[in-house]
Amino acid sequence: MTKQHWFRRALDNIYLLAGIAASLCLVMILLLIVLQMLARWTGEVAPGIPEYAGYFMAAASFLAFANALNRGSHIRVSIVLNAVPPSVRRLLEVWCFGIGTAVMWYFVYYAYRFVYWSYKFNDISQGQDKTPLWIPQTAMLVGAVILAIALTDHLIHIILKGDHRITRDLADQNHRE
Amino acid sequence: MENLSIIILFLFVLFTLLGTGVWVGLALMGVAWVGMELFTTRPVGDVMLTTIWSASSSWTLTALPLFIWMGEILFRTRLSEDMFRGLSPWMARLPGGLVHTNIVGCTVFAAVSGSSAATLTTVGKMSIPELRRRKYPETMIIGTLAGAATLGLMIPPSLTLIVYGVTINESITKLFFAGILPGLILAAMFMGYVAIYSRVSSKWEPEEEPRMHFSEKLKNSRFLIPVLLLITVVIGSMYLGFATATEAAAFGVIGSLLLAATQGSLSWSTFSQSLMGATRTSAMIALILAGASFLSLSMGFTGLPRGLADLIAQWQLTRFELLMVLLVFYIILGCFLDGISSVVLTMAVVEPMIREAGIDLIWFGIFIVVVVEMAQITPPIGFNLFVLQGMTNHEMSFIAKAAIPMFLIMILMVFVLILFPDIATWLPNNIRNGPG
Repeated sequence: MTKQHWFRRALDNIYLLAGIAASLCLVMILLLIVLQMLARWTGEVAPGIPEYAGYFMAAASFLAFANALNRGSHIRVSIVLNAVPPSVRRLLEVWCFGIGTAVMWYFVYYAYRFVYWSYKFNDISQGQDKTPLWIPQTAMLVGAVILAIALTDHLIHIILKGDHRITRDLADQNHRE
Repeated sequence: MENLSIIILFLFVLFTLLGTGVWVGLALMGVAWVGMELFTTRPVGDVMLTTIWSASSSWTLTALPLFIWMGEILFRTRLSEDMFRGLSPWMARLPGGLVHTNIVGCTVFAAVSGSSAATLTTVGKMSIPELRRRKYPETMIIGTLAGAATLGLMIPPSLTLIVYGVTINESITKLFFAGILPGLILAAMFMGYVAIYSRVSSKWEPEEEPRMHFSEKLKNSRFLIPVLLLITVVIGSMYLGFATATEAAAFGVIGSLLLAATQGSLSWSTFSQSLMGATRTSAMIALILAGASFLSLSMGFTGLPRGLADLIAQWQLTRFELLMVLLVFYIILGCFLDGISSVVLTMAVVEPMIREAGIDLIWFGIFIVVVVEMAQITPPIGFNLFVLQGMTNHEMSFIAKAAIPMFLIMILMVFVLILFPDIATWLPNNIRNGPG
């Protein structure tokens, strides 16, 4: 095992683990909503559940972004990409990953500031849950960082090897739309 | 619009990023950034984060992953086989015979899944080989399947309608109910076409079905009953005001898990596959919505929506003319973009126009869904065509040709919707008010 292999495996594991964490957030949303219904029927009050479900929604989305990218779930307009010869296609892919990488690192920089100020000023949720907002916002930041790393990973790969590492799963594609 | 040249630059960036294949969500974020830098002096990055955070952590959005998950679970059950076996005895005597199982099957699966591609795969997997064996005309098998599968986008739960509702801040429950009658009418129109075709065409000579006794028919369709029950619970709980759309979705997930468990098709691998699949699909849509929320803020600063609304007002287009313009616009847009992306991309601009013209936004949601549905069965990117190509190995042109009658029926449906707007607005105005 060379050092690069080890690094490659670590990155892939991060993407996968983030995806699994995202799916657990989805299960949490389900549990919270069931809890809310039970509370309503039994006349109990369960304050702040909509807010919590919202935080898990954000976490589920952001943590799964990189995994969705690697499996080709994110939608893009591929008419031009499919029509051009392979050499042009490679350039076009570099452009796409380049733009994506730039947008995402820009997002990460401001997301970091966003969470930092939210922590510094001890920003509290306006809802009934009174959650310090930096906690759920950190999940967004982590997800954004992982997506930015994944995009950079693909960008470097396509520049060096001429090919990105997105594997399209047909069974997965069936569920788009 | 005084900043015409800047607006043209803005639109140019938009189409370049989307056209070259940058992922839709990220492209929208990039374009929105350009728009903010061009038109405002506000701190762009900080505004971006506030907007995207509040859009991504919204409570209404939670209906989305749950409905996707419900569809994913049922997609992995034996439903596909049960559907054909359960429906075919009832359809055999109708003019048009078993081709109707395609349409009714799609309608039923559409009521548990918000996706038209999943509907198509589930129904087609079983009905294509069975119908071929009975020598039904190939164009009818393929065409009806392509057309009826688009019902997945209209009959609740519908992912496109959830996205539309979140984008314009309208009640998702109301939108769902607005979709029911038009969805059923569209299904009836497809069935009418099949019935007429079967009487007129000379190529129509399928094998006769054996006659079945009523009790035998019932026995064959006993496996469908739990699914119908699930649909009743999910839709009924919203209608009676027991549950919000999200809560109904939670019922749906639990119900379909139970259903899969009693069928014996619930294993750890199907469970985790359905969960991961749902997570990814929901993340895909969430990325687009995040980008779109920032873009619509930025669009507001460009003055484009206001300007266009004024322009439309100046031209004094009648409602009908405006809708015709939008119809053509969305059909063209649908040649390049998928349904969800076209909805979120355009609503920031289209919404002020619609409000200006005094068109009901719930009704417009159904209109837009029918129109983006058509894009599903037209080349070059009609997604249902690709799925069918994968399933049947036919040429794309053959499948597209088989789907043309369905496309025309859907255009007819648009006019029916314009002539009788009540079919979309009556039901949502009559549901009981529920929690939240």
